[in-house]
Amino acid sequence: MKKYISIFIVLIALFLNSCNTNDAGFYRNVYVDSDGLVSIETQSSYSVGDKIYLKANIPKLIVEEGQTTLLDIFKTTGGATQFNFSYIIEKQTNATDWEVVTVNDSELDIENGLAQSGYYINSFCNYNSTEEYQYRVGFPLMSSGNYRLYFNYNGGETGTVELRSISDKTNLILNITSNVTELNSSGVYNFTVN
Amino acid sequence: MKKLTFILFLSSIIASAQEAKENAIASKKNELRFDLLSLVLDNKYSLSYERFIGKDFSIGINGNVSNSKKINEDFNEGYRNNVPKFEINPYVRYNLSKSKSRYYFLELFTSYNSGDYKEIIRLEDANGLGYYTTQKKKYTDYGIGGSVGYKMYFGESWGLEMLVGYGKNLSNTKISPDNISRVGINLGYRF
Repeated sequence: MKKYISIFIVLIALFLNSCNTNDAGFYRNVYVDSDGLVSIETQSSYSVGDKIYLKANIPKLIVEEGQTTLLDIFKTTGGATQFNFSYIIEKQTNATDWEVVTVNDSELDIENGLAQSGYYINSFCNYNSTEEYQYRVGFPLMSSGNYRLYFNYNGGETGTVELRSISDKTNLILNITSNVTELNSSGVYNFTVN
Repeated sequence: MKKLTFILFLSSIIASAQEAKENAIASKKNELRFDLLSLVLDNKYSLSYERFIGKDFSIGINGNVSNSKKINEDFNEGYRNNVPKFEINPYVRYNLSKSKSRYYFLELFTSYNSGDYKEIIRLEDANGLGYYTTQKKKYTDYGIGGSVGYKMYFGESWGLEMLVGYGKNLSNTKISPDNISRVGINLGYRF
């Protein structure tokens, strides 16, 4: 019996020792609010073959809600050269259902930044010589119908987009919540392609 | 009959030798130990002294100095906001068994511990522009906890001890670790 208790103590000791990071968490994230960093370039009407463009011009110095001084996001992130965000475009299939619209990456019109198409458009704003993180990408509209575009499909504040810096592993990660004025009160931009 | 006599004789020799070993161990009142487990797994140097008082009680003190590469990396990469560096743990123990050469014990310990912690703060540079950065500082805290362990001696002086314990820091847990773990496999010398 003593032998088993001893073995038990050794096992518990090894287990507790491996769990000794008792205050583990993630202590690199900074969260700020700053409005108007991403916009949808809306048109009064869309036709098949048009593209819907999203644009981001994020200066190195941004207005931070609740602060009286500008925030240097380049310095905060230790010189991060990209900010990431994503969005989804869906097409209505019947009165109640929508399906995600996907295209090949080569069909995206990438003017600035980077974009990868899949279930969502994974987007990267690139830092450039003008000291701005820039993004402008057009998504092709291949067929007529009702469409909607939205951000924050994993949750988050309605009517906003969340941008996250791509920081080196020892630098701070800056998370910026920014409102997108083209979204309606449900956090969606609806449009029709004729 | 001769066989039974021989067995009884042998048993009495063994019992006598065991008693002599127990008495020899009990007559030695001091012990020094070094934790092998913490050194191998955490690069933590842990040294303990124990003074045996009375029949079932002992008191002691344990000191630890840590420099774990894994914990330092986790600290630098933001997976934890503190990194323990130094601990002093005074303790009192109660022997749960009759034997002095192999026994279970309970321990009550206190802890004075310190290390580094970091927090994210917003500063302004010379141009009046804001930026966020991490600031590293020192913490100190004290805590209390309990342990259970098993000790066994191979001869009259050398022994091995297994220990599992858990405690809580009490005064500064916004920046210090909430929990204190006291685990180890110690090689000891009693004198």
